[in-house]
Amino acid sequence: MNEFKTGGVAVPVIEKDEAKVDHKIVGKPIPIVDGKEKVTGQAQFVNDIKLPGMLIAKILRSPYPHARVINIDTTLAENLPGVKAVITRDDTRGEKYIAMGPPLSDRYPLVMEKAKYIGDEIAAVAAVNESIAEEALRLIKVNYEVLPAVYEPEEAVKEDAPVIHEDRDSNIAMRIARSYGDPDSAFQAADYVFSDTYVTQVVSHAILEPKGTVAHYFNGKVTIWTSTQAPYFVRKEVAHILGMPEGDVRVKEIFSAGAFGARSKVCDDEAICALLSRKALRPVKLVLTREEEFKTTRVRHPYHIDIRTGVSREGRLLAREVKMVVDNGAYNYLGPAVLGYSTFVAASHYKVENIKIDASLVYTNKQAGTAFRGFGSPQVTFAIESQMDDIADQLGFDRLAFRLLNAHESGFVTPAGWKITSCGMKECLQKAYDGVKDLPLDSGSKVKKRGIGLASSIHISGVKLFKEGDYSGAIVRVAGDGTVTVFTGAADVGTGSKTTLVQVAAEALGVSVQKVSITTMDTDQTPQDIGSWASRIMFVGGNAVLRAAKLAREQIIKTAGAALNVDPEDLDIDQGVVFARSNRAKAMPIGDAVKLCNTRIGDWVMGSYHYDTPAEMINRQSGVANISPTYSYGAHGALVEVDEETGMVEVLRIVAAHDVGKAINPMIVEGQVLGALAQGIGYALTEQMLYKDGKLLNGNFLDYKILTTADMPQMEVSIVETMDEEGPFGAKGIGEPGLIPTAAAIANAIKDATGVRFKEIPILPEHIVEALSPEDI
Amino acid sequence: MLINFKLNGDAVRVDVAGHVTLLELLREEFELLGAKEGCGYGECGSCTVLVDGQAVNSCLMLAAGVNGKEVETIEGLGGPQGELDPLQQAFLQHGAVQCGFCTPGMIMSARALLKENPYPTEEEIRRAWRVTCAAVPAMPKLSRPLRPSAIFRGRKSK
Repeated sequence: MNEFKTGGVAVPVIEKDEAKVDHKIVGKPIPIVDGKEKVTGQAQFVNDIKLPGMLIAKILRSPYPHARVINIDTTLAENLPGVKAVITRDDTRGEKYIAMGPPLSDRYPLVMEKAKYIGDEIAAVAAVNESIAEEALRLIKVNYEVLPAVYEPEEAVKEDAPVIHEDRDSNIAMRIARSYGDPDSAFQAADYVFSDTYVTQVVSHAILEPKGTVAHYFNGKVTIWTSTQAPYFVRKEVAHILGMPEGDVRVKEIFSAGAFGARSKVCDDEAICALLSRKALRPVKLVLTREEEFKTTRVRHPYHIDIRTGVSREGRLLAREVKMVVDNGAYNYLGPAVLGYSTFVAASHYKVENIKIDASLVYTNKQAGTAFRGFGSPQVTFAIESQMDDIADQLGFDRLAFRLLNAHESGFVTPAGWKITSCGMKECLQKAYDGVKDLPLDSGSKVKKRGIGLASSIHISGVKLFKEGDYSGAIVRVAGDGTVTVFTGAADVGTGSKTTLVQVAAEALGVSVQKVSITTMDTDQTPQDIGSWASRIMFVGGNAVLRAAKLAREQIIKTAGAALNVDPEDLDIDQGVVFARSNRAKAMPIGDAVKLCNTRIGDWVMGSYHYDTPAEMINRQSGVANISPTYSYGAHGALVEVDEETGMVEVLRIVAAHDVGKAINPMIVEGQVLGALAQGIGYALTEQMLYKDGKLLNGNFLDYKILTTADMPQMEVSIVETMDEEGPFGAKGIGEPGLIPTAAAIANAIKDATGVRFKEIPILPEHIVEALSPEDI
Repeated sequence: MLINFKLNGDAVRVDVAGHVTLLELLREEFELLGAKEGCGYGECGSCTVLVDGQAVNSCLMLAAGVNGKEVETIEGLGGPQGELDPLQQAFLQHGAVQCGFCTPGMIMSARALLKENPYPTEEEIRRAWRVTCAAVPAMPKLSRPLRPSAIFRGRKSK
């Protein structure tokens, strides 16, 4: 390739053996099934809900990072005309959210004794309109005793640091220290040992739709519409906080604008909204402002990582030691799970048999971290993959060959117990590298230096990190008119999972996509599903739908076989017609077969399946478990141009190769990867939440720089298909992987261009200018 | 204050308070919910509608400002039987829609751009969206639909 330009995207490249592909619907880039609602503005999000008598809620938050709440006087607020309910800690049962379960539970729906970060929820108001609710907040009098606060983990672990959660001995929320193999001997045996320190920043999910909930308490039950990835967790937590049976809490799916992990467990608004509705006996809407969304919702945990790697003369990775200190913020949310997953990635990325881990999660008086696309992997992958390049360079190895030598293959079992089945790691690395290796490195300018970088990732497709397991349920119903309905508990948070699940059902039943409809999830009506996170819906939800559809199909085939006097083995279904392969004249519409199945109980055939993955439950003691049913691989090649005078980095091109098992819908796969790339580039170069004394300084879209269309490089998504044996039609997850190796690929490209290794992200222009300036200037 | 304006082709007359924004008027008075509030201060573009053919952030414009003007929202697009506008169709077909929250704003921005410049280059498309999109994961794909939209308009783009 001699010429390229920046901007725009290329059509995804799918290379596969056409001969073995015999799908009619799976593998096709069909438009999303709920797209018409979205392009016409008819798709209703939480803030679009209007119910008769609905009140508007607002939250009073702590202005202090650490303060004891002495007393709260709500009298004036309650007496303000138009105010229908005010709630404080006195309106709760004094129970913590379950979150990750005791002893990790650490958070109340409203502050009990102490506010622990600026923004902690003190009280909430529901009023007939927004301005009265805001005025009521101003009328609530709170007496605080301001306490000393800590903002950085290194301060927080000191002996004399104020303890944030007083029922604990220290500010260490969790520590994981363990070894795999014999790292000490392996380090001694290594020909070379490399030690480096990497630092990553706090970033915001920056979800365009502010978090919101509508709750309607009526006749002893509460119905909730909320933007969430985990309706069943929300149900469980709200029931717990309100002291109600789970069955009396109904959570209904509504259109939701992304979530990226921030909404993968209960947030803050759901229970508060439900408490207000129960007190006011009216429907209540609570939608955060953009400022609240930035300052009070969860973030990605910042990491301080020391990594030591032992390498043999031949370039084999022999030992790895990773120390991580992670700023948890004020509460656990999913911090312990994120930390745990980081340690598994540290013990699984590339083939390294001897591993030593020491990871600490430390409370500080800042807004808390939680899941964010990649779940603790982007941080660790940034460290591992940056160091991989430096090792290759110092030992004179080719950067690609060094990676390929240490790459996974099918059959490999990582020290953390991850059993590798389908594996496209080497193919992804090769494709990513091939996509950038021949691009011109001469910018035509003396001050603009170009370089290419490479980095890879491994990720789960579902996970058994929680005691609930890793399951999805589905019911597939075929009606006498030949239409199909898929009942799924999986909420589509904008990823397109509804569409891919429809494709799976349509393919399995031999009907067109137009004949299949899919329900919106509703905890009262749809099968249970643990949630839309961990890149799991395609794999786990897809398997549930596939198996349910097959159960329905079996009944139809059997009945049609008897009616047509054909061996059911000889029957197939295509375009909604059941036919004999040996004699196409023997055929009947699928709906007619359905009617014959069930003449006494109506014109339906149903298949129901509860799929729990064959993965192993996490073992927190040993740190060894095959926590995911399969693993997705990815590799990114990046070409960057660095202006050595201004320090500006322009990403010119990214080639993202991903092993998705089988792309059920390549257009959706591409969308997932492109979106993740946008977040990954921001993570590498522009995004950073800045705090002073626990106060967020840049909580708006002007000062917190996420990428826009104008900033995007030329991007190519290369889909690698490895046909996973357990995956539905061979598919694996792709929700998160596109973000994971991006920052490392860019950092490596910057080093290739400038010769300077940046070990801290974001890599800002001032860092580059400073690093490249001669010392005497 | 009593104002008159055209809303998606219909003449309307409404009494608005001075502080009410165009977005509030559209969403609360007319129940046109396609335009969304993503930030409330003109940075995300989810609330984009057209006023006299120009794309505006309706969260920043006071409702009184549309007196005597023509306002077009996402709900005004498409045919009388619910047929999609070619631009809406193009967004769908090219996978430029993910969660759909900002999609109405995106489509209205694109519509304004095409009114002014029926055959934009890719660079012009990207620049036009500079301030109108924020966290949309699919945004790089959004430059694609505009090319075919020019074709739908009956002429071939370069």
